[in-house]
Amino acid sequence: MIVVIGLTIVITPIWLIQPFQPQTPRALEVSYVMRRMSPIVTIIASIAVLLVVVWLWRKSRWFGKAFAVLVTLPLFAATWMARQNHFEWMFRPDVNISYAPPDTVNYINDDDMVLSVTRSGEAVAYPVRLMAYHHLVQDVVGGTPIVATY
Amino acid sequence: MRDEETGTWWQQVSGEAIVGPLKGQRLRSVLHDEITFKMWKQEQPRGRVLKPDPTVDAKNYVPADWDTRMEKVPVRIAQDLDPKLSPRTLVVGVVAGNVAKAYPSEVVAKQSPIVDELGGVPLLIVAGNDRKSVRGFERVIDGRVLEFFKKKDSSPLVLVDSQTGSEWDFTGKAISGPLTGKQIKQIFVLNDYWFDWKNYHPKTSVYDAGL
Repeated sequence: MIVVIGLTIVITPIWLIQPFQPQTPRALEVSYVMRRMSPIVTIIASIAVLLVVVWLWRKSRWFGKAFAVLVTLPLFAATWMARQNHFEWMFRPDVNISYAPPDTVNYINDDDMVLSVTRSGEAVAYPVRLMAYHHLVQDVVGGTPIVATY
Repeated sequence: MRDEETGTWWQQVSGEAIVGPLKGQRLRSVLHDEITFKMWKQEQPRGRVLKPDPTVDAKNYVPADWDTRMEKVPVRIAQDLDPKLSPRTLVVGVVAGNVAKAYPSEVVAKQSPIVDELGGVPLLIVAGNDRKSVRGFERVIDGRVLEFFKKKDSSPLVLVDSQTGSEWDFTGKAISGPLTGKQIKQIFVLNDYWFDWKNYHPKTSVYDAGL
């Protein structure tokens, strides 16, 4: 039971928020609450399960011990997962941001799309092929702090 | 997207905070457009271009034909869609006077410039000569509504208004004729998949003139 709670709270948001698929506001709210609670809930579940396993360990036979290990391992995995942002594995925000003048650019084609922002005479292009991976780039254009997102 | 300071989750497409401490707030959208690199270079030779992150394996960046490949990915549909379009049809989405309308990208490329009216706003939807770069404008100068057509065989693209015969470039600026120097106001248009546009704009209409 404890294991099921621990796993559910971690897996449900991952299932509800899949990239490239539509999401409903309700699913997002449920996921948000679960993501907020999962780090603490999984720790408590892990400790509780560990205590139970230790307590039963001496009394149980080999298959009981094997069962306890099999059940506990996924819970530990979930506990670790609750502390990760798996979206950042899939779509890493740009961490080493740099820019090139247009005439030196050789990493995109002429007919590739760019997101373009021009403010107070400053013009910036964010190639879609890079944005489709990073999704978020923070910048200051013409004095305005912006987040470019795709 | 999530901000580090408060942990609030923000909707990318609208900039609205949907869950968390800042729920209900909204980031102000900055006018931007989605055009080809070639078009952008011509207009902004002194601009700057985001570079790939050297610590990211190049194969992580999507290939050039990414959006047409994505058209084949099936969609779990959360609402009834207009049967005229398939879910991953690319559309140009426009909101004017709180009214939403989707112009199928293919139709825009064929019929450009499209002269329309939406939510009481006289609109102009134009595709560049590359047929991929699309911009929207309010076709009004000093309270006067203009109609536009394309100057035949012009390259780069030149539009002409039928009221004064002035010539206009793709940035919406009059480059010759009585209105030289005037600028029609650019409005934001979104290149989007039909299912996604419909999801955020359930009451959207679809441009179907000439179909």
